Amino acid sequence: MGIAIIGGGVAGITAALDLANSGYKVYLVEKNAELGGKMAELAECKVGLSPRVVEIENHPNIDLMLSSELESLSGSAGNFTLKVSGTTVEAESVILAPGYDVFDNIAKSYGFGSPDVVTSLDFEGMLRASTMSGELLRPSDNKPVKKIGFIKCVGSRCQENEICSTACCAYTAKEVWVVKERYPDIDVSVFYMDIRVFGKDEELVAELKDKYGVKYIRSRVPEVIPERGSLKVKYEDLKKGVIANLDFDLIVLAVGLLPSKTLGRLSEITGVKTDKYGYVETSITSPLETNMPGVFACGTATAPMKVRESVAQASGAALKAAILSQRTEPIPGQEERKYIEVGDEQKIGVFICGCEGEVADSVDIPAVVEQVKQLRDVVLVNGDTNTTKEVLEAIEGGIVDQGLNKIVFAGYTPREYENIFKDAVAKAGLNPYLLEFVNLREQCAWVHDKAEATVVAAGMLRMAVGRARYLEAIPIEQYPVIPKALVIGGGVSGMNAALGIADAGYDICLVEKGPELGGGLRETGELQSGEKASDVLKELADKVASNKRITVYKNAKEENVSGRAGSFKANIVGDGVNEEIEFGACVIATGAKDVVPEGYSGKEVITQAEFGKMLGGTVSANTIAMIQDVGEGVAAKYSSIELVANALKAKEKNPNLNIFVLYQDIKTYGKWEALYKEAREKGVIFLRYENAPKYEGGIVTVFDVILNDDVQIKPDLVVLSTPTVPAEDNERLSKMFKIPLRNGFFMEAQERPKMVLTPVDTVNEGVFICGSAVYPAMIDECMAMSTAAASRACVLLAKNFMETPAVSSVVDEQICVGCGVCVDVCPVEAIELTEELIPVVTFGVATVISGMKKVAKVGDGCIGCGSCASYCPSGAMSLKHFRDRQLYAQLDYAL
Amino acid sequence: MSVTKLAYYPGCPSDATAIDQDMSTKAVFEKLGVELVEVEDWNCCGAAEVEEPELVYALNARNLAIAEKEGLDIVTPCSICYYNLERSNIALKADDKLRAKVKGIDSSLDYNGKIKAKHVLDVFVNDIGLEELSSKMSKKLNLKVAPYYGCYIGRPPETAFDDPDDPDSMDKLIELMGGEIVPFSQMKTFCCGGPLMMTRSDIAFEMARKILDTAKSAGADCIALACPLCGMMLDGKQADIEKALHVEIDMPVVYITQLLGLALGIDAKELGLNKNAVDTKEILGKVV
Amino acid sequence: MIKTWELDPNFKEEIMKERGGEHLTACFQCSTCTIGCPITEYVPSYNPRKIIQMSLLGMRKEVLSNPDLWVCLICQTCTARCPQDVRISDLLSAIRRIADKEAEAGNIKIDSSRPIFDKAFQHQLEKYGRLYDIGLAKEYYPKREGSFFKGMMAMMNDYKDFGMRMFKKGKMGPKAMFPEKVKDRAVMKKIFEEMGEK
Repeated sequence: MGIAIIGGGVAGITAALDLANSGYKVYLVEKNAELGGKMAELAECKVGLSPRVVEIENHPNIDLMLSSELESLSGSAGNFTLKVSGTTVEAESVILAPGYDVFDNIAKSYGFGSPDVVTSLDFEGMLRASTMSGELLRPSDNKPVKKIGFIKCVGSRCQENEICSTACCAYTAKEVWVVKERYPDIDVSVFYMDIRVFGKDEELVAELKDKYGVKYIRSRVPEVIPERGSLKVKYEDLKKGVIANLDFDLIVLAVGLLPSKTLGRLSEITGVKTDKYGYVETSITSPLETNMPGVFACGTATAPMKVRESVAQASGAALKAAILSQRTEPIPGQEERKYIEVGDEQKIGVFICGCEGEVADSVDIPAVVEQVKQLRDVVLVNGDTNTTKEVLEAIEGGIVDQGLNKIVFAGYTPREYENIFKDAVAKAGLNPYLLEFVNLREQCAWVHDKAEATVVAAGMLRMAVGRARYLEAIPIEQYPVIPKALVIGGGVSGMNAALGIADAGYDICLVEKGPELGGGLRETGELQSGEKASDVLKELADKVASNKRITVYKNAKEENVSGRAGSFKANIVGDGVNEEIEFGACVIATGAKDVVPEGYSGKEVITQAEFGKMLGGTVSANTIAMIQDVGEGVAAKYSSIELVANALKAKEKNPNLNIFVLYQDIKTYGKWEALYKEAREKGVIFLRYENAPKYEGGIVTVFDVILNDDVQIKPDLVVLSTPTVPAEDNERLSKMFKIPLRNGFFMEAQERPKMVLTPVDTVNEGVFICGSAVYPAMIDECMAMSTAAASRACVLLAKNFMETPAVSSVVDEQICVGCGVCVDVCPVEAIELTEELIPVVTFGVATVISGMKKVAKVGDGCIGCGSCASYCPSGAMSLKHFRDRQLYAQLDYAL
Repeated sequence: MSVTKLAYYPGCPSDATAIDQDMSTKAVFEKLGVELVEVEDWNCCGAAEVEEPELVYALNARNLAIAEKEGLDIVTPCSICYYNLERSNIALKADDKLRAKVKGIDSSLDYNGKIKAKHVLDVFVNDIGLEELSSKMSKKLNLKVAPYYGCYIGRPPETAFDDPDDPDSMDKLIELMGGEIVPFSQMKTFCCGGPLMMTRSDIAFEMARKILDTAKSAGADCIALACPLCGMMLDGKQADIEKALHVEIDMPVVYITQLLGLALGIDAKELGLNKNAVDTKEILGKVV
Repeated sequence: MIKTWELDPNFKEEIMKERGGEHLTACFQCSTCTIGCPITEYVPSYNPRKIIQMSLLGMRKEVLSNPDLWVCLICQTCTARCPQDVRISDLLSAIRRIADKEAEAGNIKIDSSRPIFDKAFQHQLEKYGRLYDIGLAKEYYPKREGSFFKGMMAMMNDYKDFGMRMFKKGKMGPKAMFPEKVKDRAVMKKIFEEMGEK
């Protein structure tokens, strides 16, 4: 059977690949004629997503059902029958990933029909067009844009769409960043209510304000008035206490997200319950499960969220679905591959792809083809393909039918496509290192005008052919994957990750540095759902304890990590333990910790966590001041949510209680917005400050920017929201696992500068991160993310073998003088000096040894960065696939 | 045609400052074959000056109850009357206790929530319909018109029958009559200042002037509107505004019912077009 | 400097008990109402958002004696656009009614002639059931100006041109000198007795 995924947007794509790459049959159902969903409409995202689309289109384990819709679902978990546009599909589990729709009932007061008032999606289209044309032009008159106003919360946090759309603050910041990077002279203002960004996005907003001079103005703008050729925006200047206005020549409306229009019908068909906002109903302790066993939901089907969170949920849902299903398919790349012997005769095939116009529109491909045909050893030039699928087929055909033994591909960026092409070449029987990759898109078509681009393209291809002539086949070695994982951290995320991996059938070492499992959640009284945190923890800990696949080490830590993805080694050291373990994958879930902000002292000063516990008993206060956003550290994603939830509980206990909340931004993202509203309705007073409130002599003094006046409160209780700092161990683990930190939290691997499609993967393949180790998050996000990390680990563990990196350094021992420069420059300490015997004279069969000499030796850890080769003074060190003669040949053609 | 008979609520200005609106409304409905039955002994709706909602509900319950006895939906040419009638209607329909309380004042206030309150513009465009109206038109209006909607046609949401920011029911009607709509979107629902006329005439004059100026610079031959208070501000007070603010405007202001009457071939005098404060002769010359 | 302990924390409940004031606490201070309000261009101090925040805090006296309450046009622009359904138009009306009661009781002074006008208007309805313009002017102007004579002068100033214009156009004839009366005036009296301001 297999797994049916409904929806081919970023979430569906992610889930499909995780499953298909670990040997499950996948039916991917998409209602449109193309994959990609809403993301394909976003400027940078389409570029980032397309390699995954190509991978799906060519995946043997995925049945891609485009222009198809789910019509019915019967059966139960483990045995579903689906009707998809007339076709019957049998599946063990189902993942719903229908995505979202964009709010489109925009008030006419926004521009009264002016073409220069656009939605954020329209603006993404304009940014894409500007990539090609070089200019950002105003729709009405095609004049260059000089002043842009971004208006947030259009169609969210309002009567028609009560909740916060979560993604808009960050996507607006990203759009502004792209604008300012490309056009520093464009003046940008952003109108907002609360800036609801976290972590990296928070840093981006700060950078936009400080470095790029972007004005963030707190006003919800209700109208845009076309006046004398420009667009007038009125806003409230809180400091001056007047209505001020600014003129723009382009307005971008950051429109909100709505549940997918198809979700209502999907809910009817599948029996999956939706909540009052129309999203799939899930709980905060099981964010991927629906009310129907065997049917999972992910991404914007469950709540409005960003790409990063959607992708994490999708990976998580994939694992949940996999656990209920049987693995039936071979894993691509795990089959035996035999490569043809390449003789002395060079048969170079050159393939130039139009890249759906992205290259063809700027480069005169037929002209380049004619020039390349003239080059020595080139036996085939193909300039007729326009899509990845077409060019991959042409390359495979060229190898199999025409005996090509060197391939030059020109088109997309190798950064995202090289693996797909290498794999295709290998499948056709040619050693993948006989492929030369030319980036005609980013490095030529996008950056040169038409006349120039053709000349540059021809030059780049001459260089590539020159190098191709010297390419050599590199033998590929394999090593077995150890089907076992190490999970670091015994909090909610760590336990949940361990359980996920164990359920998928692998053994786990769970290492907790403290004496107890439970982590940060042990400090929490009640969850926002009303469940007791201790109950949730107990359930998880019991499951961990009774799971035979999980070995728990308490009061322990891991040392001496070595090896690479699929085959790591480490020592577990702790309470009477010193054990060497081997594992194929690792999940880091170290969590984070709270710090009490300084400057507020007294016995009546407590933290929100302490207040939360106090709410279990009696609260004997008449006036409470809650202070948010003070102190050093980062604000956890749950900070505002915890605050309003506690305020509500306190009001429930004593409706006459006066609660003042002193804040900078209330970040009740997504459905949590409803809690914020409820808190206001119950009479909680919110005061917004810019400078931290003071607490002296029992009086809190705050300058309220809303009233433009000092406000004083005499509280009986001061409740502080605590900022969060990373776990102490992160520093040590970062060095040991070679994963960079940002502000002390682990950084995910990232393919493009402002887009995260791999939220739990790291630069160190095989090591995954989740939960508050990445950023302090709500429990639902920790659950989804840790399941995602487990899922990603399982994709790796499902393999029988991995390949050692073929591109590594080699030493010519004859030439090496043992100077040791390479040892110093190697970033991963993979080179050491060894003593070798020196042969000097050879008499017939006898060799006279003159002594010993030091020689560099490259070990297993080499990552193929090439530092040693470029520093080696004698030329003894070289990097396979980047040999001097290969590079010189390339240069010869460039000059 | 779905509508043949309606209860007619003229509103207080109907026999004085808005007599022209009253005349044209009656003439148009007659021509359209819709019988108007004036609400017997109607009382004031409370206008903008009665702030106590329950008092407004009680005042309007009486008018609604009278129409309900006739079994007729109630129609009015005044936007404020419409707002008060319909919001009372909604409140009374939704709240049994309120209905009982109102009924307790006097049996003549016994309203059962069986009818609808309508604005004439709504009846023209949405009940009678453009097709039907078109078939009865005999004249073409070669006019450039600034359609002015004021406050209560698109606002507040529960009583509105058009868009709050850029309504178009009157636009459609004017275009049907052969008129041309001048660019006026941002001014369509800007308040005329009427509610402050008696207490802050300085502000009220400035607001009305803004509307008149915009229409003028947009090249309008006239402003069309659908409320007697707006009519009083923009037409009746126009000369006072010119005098107080030292400007010359001279912008004819007509009720939509007057324009519709012309298109239906009704005599200008019968539509009260000789009673508008700003002379309308020039407009009449463009009706062919 | 606002000292919260000197304020009236029950003021918000007082407003919310009034019809139209129920949604006061839904406000999240986004500025939509104030930015879109047509009055702010003419009365820059007018700020419904601020009036709401002051009401939430319990600044009862400051709110009720704020003359800006009385320049609201009831045009409903704020109500139509408010993202939190605060119904600001109705809310301000609720606050005005409390202010009016407080002024009647002599606790505050209102620096606006609007309550005088509104009352004069209501008196016509109570008496005749319909608006009687001359009756209204005769009550309003003298009360506003503080004496009958001054009132008559102000009225003449405002209305002589207008009256003549209306007369010429046949919109104000001798008939307008007398009130149009509802026949069933007893019921009008009862309505005002039951529902009018106490």
